[in-house]
Amino acid sequence: MSIKKQKVAIVPCSGIGKSFGTVGREAAYELCENLRPDDTQLVALSKLVLGDSAAREIVGRNPTVTIDGCKMMCAAKMVKQSGGTIAREATVFDAFRRHKNLKPEGIAELNEAGLKLAKVLAEELADAVAEINNLEAVKGERHD
Amino acid sequence: MTELPKRKAGIVACSGEELPEGTVTRLAALEVLHELRPNDTVTICLPLFLAGGEEDRTFARFYPTITIDGCELRCAARATEMHSAKPAASIVVNDIVAECGLGKPEGRRRLNEAGKQAANVIAERVAALVDEALGTKGRPTASDEGAATPNKQRKTEATCSCGSGIPVLNLFIDGKVVEMAALPLIFQKFHEAGRAPDEAAAQELLEAVKVYNYVPPEDEQSYREAIIKEYAAYRERESKP
Repeated sequence: MSIKKQKVAIVPCSGIGKSFGTVGREAAYELCENLRPDDTQLVALSKLVLGDSAAREIVGRNPTVTIDGCKMMCAAKMVKQSGGTIAREATVFDAFRRHKNLKPEGIAELNEAGLKLAKVLAEELADAVAEINNLEAVKGERHD
Repeated sequence: MTELPKRKAGIVACSGEELPEGTVTRLAALEVLHELRPNDTVTICLPLFLAGGEEDRTFARFYPTITIDGCELRCAARATEMHSAKPAASIVVNDIVAECGLGKPEGRRRLNEAGKQAANVIAERVAALVDEALGTKGRPTASDEGAATPNKQRKTEATCSCGSGIPVLNLFIDGKVVEMAALPLIFQKFHEAGRAPDEAAAQELLEAVKVYNYVPPEDEQSYREAIIKEYAAYRERESKP
């Protein structure tokens, strides 16, 4: 039995106009740098907007987690347009609805609540990454 | 003359999440938007050119746009040109870092001192490009007017265009469909000012349209006629109970 381990692509939205965009970015870093560094790969959304072939290949070949800051859902839309498969579509707003005590403020620099919200979201997504990897492993076993 | 929306410069940062230079672009853009030129600038998230609507894709046609890229891929500059219009100017972080002999930015999540310095230098550079694009070079800054922060305008909310976009209207002129940026907004302003669709309004409308759109000099008469006809129709629609 050989299971080829896939990395989950993480695509945050690049939102620059609102605090929620910064929370998404921060959550992506927390997830990729601290919580699941061996299982994830961060993909810059701007590359998908440009149509960069390497970035398209990563989201095309790997299960992808998108993190969006607003209802425009740029990250999710761009991954779909790039031929990727979204394994988990997360939004900062939904996370905030679940944790209303953590109201993010600031864009260049998040307030304490914003940083906490990012951490909470990253922890939820770390579980999602583990689930996705388990599913992928089962799929891999079936193919062997 | 009817007061029209203020002309602003658009700032588009690549925000590249993978590299520290991407974070530099983001912080530089925010410094311009929030502190250096808050009254003269507006931004849009780069992905909206594709993920948004036609109004979002009008952004760089409506606003003279300055792009800030982290690396030589130049995603912001190239994608802006591909999906909206050619930027008025573009900056690449690595070029400025090399040109000014700055240290290498490190820490995509939390920038090191060199990264912060690069963001400041680039923000100043972009602010100068904003002045150039808007033709406001040399005008008094907030510091000249006695504000506490030198070379900075008074801090206000930065304008984010996400999801709002630039309203456009398509007109049929000389057998062609021509997209007019900001025309709905211009109509609204004229209507609110109680302007009747007469000859004087026709000329002023054309002048207002020319602020945001290219009008070929030889076609001005056709444009004027199409615009005043559409404005009359707009007034009629708006006047209905």
